[in-house]
Amino acid sequence: MVSAKTQLFEYHEKNSNLFDFAGFSMPLWYEGAVPECLAVRNNVGIFDISHMSRTFVQGPDAERFLNYVTTNNMAAVKPNHAQYTLICNNIGGIKDDLVIFKFDVEHYLAIFNAGNREKDLSWFKDNSKNYNIQLKEVSNEVAMFSVQGPKAASTIQKLTDSDLANIIRFDCRYTTVGGQECILSRTGYTGEDGLEICVLDASVNNPSRALKLWHDILQAGKEFGIVPCGLGSRDVLRLEAGMCLYGNDITETIDPLEASLDFVVRFEKGDFLGKEAILRKKSAGLKRKRIGLRIVGKGIPRADCKILKNDEVLGTVTSGTYSPTISCGIAMGYVPLEYSKIGEKVSIEVHGKLHEAEIVGFPFYDPKLYGVKRGS
Amino acid sequence: MSNDEGYDVPLGLYYTKDHEWLKTENGLCRIGVTDYAQKTLHEVVYVDLPKRGKRVARKESLGTVESVKAVSDYFAPVGGEIVEVNDTLENKPELINKSPYGEGWIAVIRPSNLDAELKELIDNAKYKEFLTSI
Repeated sequence: MVSAKTQLFEYHEKNSNLFDFAGFSMPLWYEGAVPECLAVRNNVGIFDISHMSRTFVQGPDAERFLNYVTTNNMAAVKPNHAQYTLICNNIGGIKDDLVIFKFDVEHYLAIFNAGNREKDLSWFKDNSKNYNIQLKEVSNEVAMFSVQGPKAASTIQKLTDSDLANIIRFDCRYTTVGGQECILSRTGYTGEDGLEICVLDASVNNPSRALKLWHDILQAGKEFGIVPCGLGSRDVLRLEAGMCLYGNDITETIDPLEASLDFVVRFEKGDFLGKEAILRKKSAGLKRKRIGLRIVGKGIPRADCKILKNDEVLGTVTSGTYSPTISCGIAMGYVPLEYSKIGEKVSIEVHGKLHEAEIVGFPFYDPKLYGVKRGS
Repeated sequence: MSNDEGYDVPLGLYYTKDHEWLKTENGLCRIGVTDYAQKTLHEVVYVDLPKRGKRVARKESLGTVESVKAVSDYFAPVGGEIVEVNDTLENKPELINKSPYGEGWIAVIRPSNLDAELKELIDNAKYKEFLTSI
């Protein structure tokens, strides 16, 4: 199968090391995952995330529909604000995690994971029969960039008339950036302050507007040391921040409670898909929990490595990497509840060797030094 | 990326198709991974080293060389005993990138069947030719 291309493919092909991700030919790194990760933690980086799926949900029943197919409460969100939420199946497993932008009570944009584009859209369609809504898939017509890091706002402020002081964390709105019609949101997947930009009317077949804005942002961020970043550093940054990757850390057989994502499950809002199953799991009691792991010495844990206590296998690593920010191996995985306390000492088996590890909280970095709450 | 140029393949070393190099030194064999291996992995952030005194067979995995997103096993080009290990790589794994044939060497093996096993390895011309084919 030929890989799909984003609006930025021409740039990536010339400047990056490409790899296949979710059916797309995407940049793994430009200069390298380590400098790109550090650029985002210390200054600013820009990612092409056009591979993500974008679907408008519109109509008189849009809010009621979204409240039925996702776990968080969309009615509690004010206009021009975004919400992190989950789609669950009928056994309470996670079908996807997503961010939904709410512009008004009848107008939303859902951002799905790239690998779930068809699955989510058909799930939405199948469950929309009793709702007066329209679903409009615009992934190929709209490009999407993510500008992340402590200098992200200073970079984008140079290109927009919207005062970013008034666009706070998770706000979103229609505006112009670099003269292009965009949806601008103060969101991201790195733990840092940042902005995500949907470039409207920038199709894969006619990518000139997307390419122009990409270069305008690189130019605007030059004084702050902006670098283009690949999906390698994106994965490291989200893991350092303790955020889940769909397909690894959350799947159709993992429920939101054990994934420690109960803060986006609002039982009080009324009926929603998966509610009964999740409530049953809740009353049966939590068996395992998603935790953070930090290697005490050397070694890099990877997905599928075993987590052990003495000789007993507790669970498996779902994501693991080397963290350039804290200079050691870090991971996420699931262990039985009784071993999930912060400070618990365990081992991780990597290539047949046991490495000492400690259960730690999220994020992995010191939030006083890095991330959106730094310095506060 | 084209494989036919841009890789350093020094004369006088022996090579494997798994991208290890071997240098004979007074009956001992110094080994490491090639310039192609380090460029493919890119930024090496961790090297899992073999233990001193370990007896290894030819083609046995000695450990891993790892970047942020990739893990690559490296293998013993010849069988024998590990008599020296480059401990500096524990804290400076980037030496593999900076100097794959020099400061980034990985281990020294006292070979047990050198003459026969050297015949299984390829010289720099053959290794260069191999790189153009992959």
